[in-house]
Amino acid sequence: MSERTVLVIDDDIDLVEIIRVTLEREKLKVIDAQNGERGFALAKERRPDLVLLDVMMNTVDEGFQVAYQLRGEPLTKDIPIIMMSAVGERTGFTFDKGRDAEFLPVSEFLEKPVSPRRLVDLVRKHLPTTT
Amino acid sequence: MRPELTLTPEASLFVSASSLRHRLDWFNRLRWGAVAVLLAAVTVLGGFTIIPLPVGPTLGVAGALALMNLGYVVRNRLLPARSIRTEIRLVKLEMACDLVLLTIILNLTGGVENPFLYVYVLHVVIAALLFKGREIFQMAWLAIGLFTGEVLGEHLGLLRHHHLLGASTLTHETRYIVAVLGSFWFVMLSGAFVSASIMRHNRAIKDELVVRQAELLAADIATRDFFRFVTHEVKSPVSTARSAIEATLELHGPELAPGARDLLERAQGRLDQATEMVKDLADLTRTGVLRHDPPAPVDLATVAARALDEQREPAAATGQRLVLQAPTDGSATVTTSASAVAKILGNLVSNAVRYNRPGGPVTVTVARLADGARLEVADEGIGIAPEEQGRVFDEFYRTAAAQQRTGLGTGLGLPIVHRLVHELGGAVVLRSAVGQGTTVTVDLPEQPPPVAGQGGAT
Repeated sequence: MSERTVLVIDDDIDLVEIIRVTLEREKLKVIDAQNGERGFALAKERRPDLVLLDVMMNTVDEGFQVAYQLRGEPLTKDIPIIMMSAVGERTGFTFDKGRDAEFLPVSEFLEKPVSPRRLVDLVRKHLPTTT
Repeated sequence: MRPELTLTPEASLFVSASSLRHRLDWFNRLRWGAVAVLLAAVTVLGGFTIIPLPVGPTLGVAGALALMNLGYVVRNRLLPARSIRTEIRLVKLEMACDLVLLTIILNLTGGVENPFLYVYVLHVVIAALLFKGREIFQMAWLAIGLFTGEVLGEHLGLLRHHHLLGASTLTHETRYIVAVLGSFWFVMLSGAFVSASIMRHNRAIKDELVVRQAELLAADIATRDFFRFVTHEVKSPVSTARSAIEATLELHGPELAPGARDLLERAQGRLDQATEMVKDLADLTRTGVLRHDPPAPVDLATVAARALDEQREPAAATGQRLVLQAPTDGSATVTTSASAVAKILGNLVSNAVRYNRPGGPVTVTVARLADGARLEVADEGIGIAPEEQGRVFDEFYRTAAAQQRTGLGTGLGLPIVHRLVHELGGAVVLRSAVGQGTTVTVDLPEQPPPVAGQGGAT
């Protein structure tokens, strides 16, 4: 049995813990990083099966930059990314899911507050069927 | 934070060169009046020899005035207003020409004998409307110089005198002439002084208002910045706490004592409320929608259908019918910000469903207008009392009936609608009767207003 790994890149350690508890219940291994740079390094080193990525960390669009980095790196370019957007950004004045998804190399957006059930659904949906 | 405000010396004179033009247009109309009065006077008085006027020369002056005025009108139409300094110079030149023509007319109509000599005062008053202190006196002194020169010129025999009252009257007496000139000087200078003082006072008030308005604007921006800051600081903890509770209920719900689970569910409900508030505040404080979401053709019928779809579930829960009346040929398409229209309709439809009577219809009507399109969202719900209708667009205001109906609702839905409609260049009207329902009408223009060069922060 190969244990699947999910990398969570988010500066909110409480949210990381919530995600960890939720995903570990689903028999997934969770590793985490609190900033984009560390997250990208960890992704290259550990090659997780999926990345959960917060949009707004040190800068308002740090998450987007990390997403582009991951896609530009041969080691990580095929890893599915679920992007977590902050509360109140869903109407897309700062970015528009429908429009930006074409340019953004992410698989899905997940709006905060993160619902554990929806999180699990999305992670299951995007996890590659074989490792 | 109060922005640094310095008023240039010209700022309190006029807003701009073009607003000065506007006044000049008005003076041009006044001048046509002067030409008409002059023609009428010459025709009636001179034509019927009531008073022996030299008709030909007087008509000549009227013609010259008319020609000059025509020149001004054509220039104002064809040439754009240039710098305010150039415009002021032109006005001064026009007024000086007026005074010269007035002096010629006075010379032709009796000079010191003519009681209309105080028409000069009118010019000083007009100068006070246009200029400041020194310049008003310049005009007064020019009038004094011209009139005094005319009177003395006639008296000394340098200029021809046209009798108005008969050849041998007191008007030819030196003492009388000195008295008239004395009173003329006095009236002109005191007139200039008084009108300059009044105008200075008025301009001081206007300057004060400009400063106050800028302060209010700055205060409004500061308030919004504050909201934005609070929203930003509050959203992460609220959202994470909400996720933590949901995860606890999800993962450990069955193991929890019923009382503990109930408390967590209550906490979750309150955090949902806080999340709604954060989302609404984020919408309310976000300005410049047209810059973030550039205008594009939007079929309002499609947006309306989507907004109704989103409310299917809560509407069904209370047996409400959702009705869409919209053209299907795409005729209700306007160029606007799609996300803003979606937000406007989303808020209006969710309000309608929330405050409707159980089983009542919520009707969204989309219609083409001559210069845009109309959205109308109508319910048959609790309605809004007349005295509260003026306040529902105020931030955080919730009517007494709305609060009684549900704890949900942030009091920000309609303020957001109001702000967005305003940004899109549209208009929003609310009609309501207690117990009968509310109808909100939003008219959107064919094209949004141009995006201002500067404005809300991003």
